[in-house]
Amino acid sequence: MTSWTVEGIRSTVGDFDLGPVNLDLGPGGAVAVLGPSGAGKTTLLRTIAGFVPARHGRLLRDGVDVTRWPPERRGLGYVPQGLGLFTHRTVERNVSYPLEVRGRTDALRASRPLLERFGLATLARRYPAQLSGGELQRVALARALAAEPALVLWDEPWQALDVEARHQLSLVFEELRSGARIPVLIVTHDPSLAFSVADRFLVLRAGAPRFHGEPGALLQRPFDRFTARFAGYENVFDRPSLAQGGPGSLAAWLDARAGPGGVAFPRPAPALDPAAPGSWEGVVRVVRPTPEGLALTVAVGPVGVALRQPSTADGRLPGVGDRLRFDVEEKSLRPLEAEDEASGAAG
Amino acid sequence: MSSGGAPAPVRASRRGGAPWLVLQLVLSGSLVLLFALPLYALFTYAKPAEIFSAAGDPAVRASVYLTLLASGIAVLAAVVLAIPLGYLLARRPFPGRSVVEAFVALPVAVPHLLVGLGMFFLLIPGSPLYRLTEALGLPVYDTIWGVVLVMVFVSAPYTVLASDLSFRATDLRALEAARALGAGPATAFLTVTFPAALRGIVAGLLMTWARAVSEVGGILILAYTVYPAGPYNGPVSSTVSVLVYDLFENGNLKEAAAVSSLFLLVAFTLFLAVRLAERSGRLPWGRGELVP
Repeated sequence: MTSWTVEGIRSTVGDFDLGPVNLDLGPGGAVAVLGPSGAGKTTLLRTIAGFVPARHGRLLRDGVDVTRWPPERRGLGYVPQGLGLFTHRTVERNVSYPLEVRGRTDALRASRPLLERFGLATLARRYPAQLSGGELQRVALARALAAEPALVLWDEPWQALDVEARHQLSLVFEELRSGARIPVLIVTHDPSLAFSVADRFLVLRAGAPRFHGEPGALLQRPFDRFTARFAGYENVFDRPSLAQGGPGSLAAWLDARAGPGGVAFPRPAPALDPAAPGSWEGVVRVVRPTPEGLALTVAVGPVGVALRQPSTADGRLPGVGDRLRFDVEEKSLRPLEAEDEASGAAG
Repeated sequence: MSSGGAPAPVRASRRGGAPWLVLQLVLSGSLVLLFALPLYALFTYAKPAEIFSAAGDPAVRASVYLTLLASGIAVLAAVVLAIPLGYLLARRPFPGRSVVEAFVALPVAVPHLLVGLGMFFLLIPGSPLYRLTEALGLPVYDTIWGVVLVMVFVSAPYTVLASDLSFRATDLRALEAARALGAGPATAFLTVTFPAALRGIVAGLLMTWARAVSEVGGILILAYTVYPAGPYNGPVSSTVSVLVYDLFENGNLKEAAAVSSLFLLVAFTLFLAVRLAERSGRLPWGRGELVP
């Protein structure tokens, strides 16, 4: 069981600067690296993997400085964006690769249990081009684990996966953490993966860490439009859209309470009865079913507000064109910081 | 979804597909015909008996052997010299890379006789390079080395360009995955980058071979007649291309057509063998890569 420490790491790709980043990853720890495109998530992973040289800071593996070690000596299970599978090798020869390069003459046989564990035994002789998205992900993970890694680095694990494959993969992550206790660092754009797998979030913005802490803290206090949307806030408004509201409008009321980057708040529950109390009235524009009931979007002047399904005594459901009344609790408002422009050079 | 609505777009796309298919067939067929007709004319001009007779002629056999040997060495030289250059151009940015890329393609554009003239001026007897080739035991005038030199000059660019494109197309992330999974730089190149690029590289080598065996102009100047030297210890001969040129110049059209047809059969057999081996998955890059 290995512990990793990222100590003030800085790196540069083109004109994009990352860091300083500080991070502790103990056995079984899972950190999700979040941030908008161009925030430096992939650059951080590639710096830890050793493909981008660290200009400052140290990477410690059980207290040993491995900052200058080449990637092959670091003991990683690295799954790059797009998986990086070897298209000219069969599934079994992909999975056995880490053992082959370590000189194991029984690499194919030794990797057999991993093929079986990931349900790949029947696909062993196929090539990656012949597999589905979920199968490819399993091959990539099996190959990463064949290296018996001390740290798993995974860039965008859930890209193009169906619901069942996602579920299977999240079980594997759980096993990694609780069984083998291998620390995991994942880059993701997917809130459901991040919240289900990670015990900590690292949010990057324009190459710099903006938040490092428990997921619950981000749920309570999103600080910019990206984190608000990531945490599930459906009402996220920037200042220019709020500025279009006239005096006394909901937009103007929100504008007066917004931060430099705008404001976010959870979906309020409306009342379908036009005579019901509520400060604001809107017209239903969109009705869509969700597992939590109907999700509504109502137009209130220049802004569209997301609302929950109203509870009505007679069980009537709202439709497009209905008028609804609702309140926005002031204490539910989250003023947001301005977002920097993404620098674009790195993922 | 109702069963009545879905099939309509499929029928529409089938209707739209037929003219498109016809257009493809017409255009592709025209080019294949353009390739095939001159070859058909060659084959029909020489009777099968004459082709068999050419195959049995010791002088023709020596010429075919010399051509295959020289072109084989040229392909080997392309493997050793052109693939590394292709890799360099694909993966190592350096100042003036575009200039080098443009320069590498130049030998393909140079008229064939000028290639020979350029070589002649460079290796004119008494020049430092001439003395060097003599001292190394690699005399170029009227030897297989002269043939190989011209062949490499005119044909290696195909392997450089094919390697360049193939290495560029390989997945850098696969290379990084290999490194992180424990492979050093050399192992990662040999096990991941090179095999992934191999199919394109082999295509380039085939083109290199084809271009090498078809060269006439440069060889006419440097090694019109080839005397035994180095790896070639057969009778005094000339390459097939020069032999055919010679026969044509002397008015032996039947014989020129017979020798050409014979060599075309050899070349076609080689190309077909590579394609069939590729289809059967017997080549190192495997069948799976061919699946879309």
